[in-house]
Amino acid sequence: MKTYEVPQEIKDGNTLEEKLELLKQIGRSFSVFRVDCGSCNGCEIEIFAAISPMWDPERFGFKLVANPRHADILLCTGPVTRQMYYPLLRAYEAAPDPKIVVALGACGATGGIFYDAYNVLSGIDKIIPVDAYIPGCPPHPASIIYGLTTALGVMEQKLKKVSFEEEGELPSLVKDSVLGNIIFERDLLVKAKKLMSYVFGRKLFDKYIEALLKSGDVKNTQATKKSITEAMTIEEDPRYAECMGILHNEVYAQYVTCDEEDLISLHRVEWDKR
Amino acid sequence: MLKLLDMSKKYGQTTHKYPFEPYILADNFRGKPSYNFDWCIGCAACGIACPSNAITIQLNDDKSKLIWEFDCGRCIFCGRCDEVCPTDAIKLSNEFELAVNFDKTALIQRGELDTQYCSQCNKAFSTKRLVNYSYECLSKANIGEKRLLEAKSYLNICQTCKENATGLNLTSGEEMVIE
Repeated sequence: MKTYEVPQEIKDGNTLEEKLELLKQIGRSFSVFRVDCGSCNGCEIEIFAAISPMWDPERFGFKLVANPRHADILLCTGPVTRQMYYPLLRAYEAAPDPKIVVALGACGATGGIFYDAYNVLSGIDKIIPVDAYIPGCPPHPASIIYGLTTALGVMEQKLKKVSFEEEGELPSLVKDSVLGNIIFERDLLVKAKKLMSYVFGRKLFDKYIEALLKSGDVKNTQATKKSITEAMTIEEDPRYAECMGILHNEVYAQYVTCDEEDLISLHRVEWDKR
Repeated sequence: MLKLLDMSKKYGQTTHKYPFEPYILADNFRGKPSYNFDWCIGCAACGIACPSNAITIQLNDDKSKLIWEFDCGRCIFCGRCDEVCPTDAIKLSNEFELAVNFDKTALIQRGELDTQYCSQCNKAFSTKRLVNYSYECLSKANIGEKRLLEAKSYLNICQTCKENATGLNLTSGEEMVIE
């Protein structure tokens, strides 16, 4: 598909000097027109969250307008579906020169998760020249405000291209196992992630290992049972407490031979003293 | 009108001071994935897990380097790379100020890792760091010294060569016994 070529008169009216001149002239009042080019509505919701009194961008003079002829900034969201291709061009041509185009969201910046779908053009910059990109899926209201302020030169851009080419010495990434077998840690982490997902699972793993090391002798089933039960009673979140018991019964018992009485009772009344 | 003023006095100001003051994020905020190149072993788990292909892993033209590349513009902040990373080299950070002007390449992070060549067919099949990491894991997994010595040789052989050698050993009657 042949995409749009920017006409010469629009090109002439949109040079960098013209844009910098515009920034000087309009002072502290900017009109923003929002173009939805087939977005999932997540970015729209965040834009409206960003213009709510909670964030109040009218402090810097941002206003949403309903007509591209009033706009200084075009805020484009979405991966540009085939249906929204011409409406986007009409909004672009209708906006007075010089105009600033901001691509909002992962879809607007590069096409996002839809980048190789058959019915999208993947990204605003494939069609019209874009001045600022605000990634995020959807971007946080603070990111939107930061993006618009960077587009206007109020704040500095923070990201830079990072490239690591020389490889250094690889540090020792595998910690020593508490039981002398790394497979115990592996199984423990897998079970912890299964029980509490990866963010909290890692915290659960750390808590369990800490409690296990507190017992002094990790292979002594009596001592470990005592220290894990202690950790369960002082734990504030009952989810962690119960999952620690499950880990002990199901994973630890596989690696150290435990009797029936070495297992921890998961009945809440017995360990929840509050 | 006075009632309104009284109400506003009672509830105070709720507008965030950002960008003039830093904004305090909530716990577990999903910001830009931060990449720690020193810990990356090039196992490509993040590239497979990434639903939007923001992370791509490719060999370069002369196959001497494995190029890990992350395009923040395409990232949807799902955290699956964080979930699968075995060495915590990629982690979701608190960074939310990601906007860039004009040049989209500022959103890219890349790292180049040395590749390991197969000791049999001399083809690039993995990274040196991944081989070292695998050996380190095996050495802490409570296995015998003889198997560890064997591991040192077979970790440097690519998948196809391993399959061929196994087939050859089976058909020629030289089966290996794992102790």
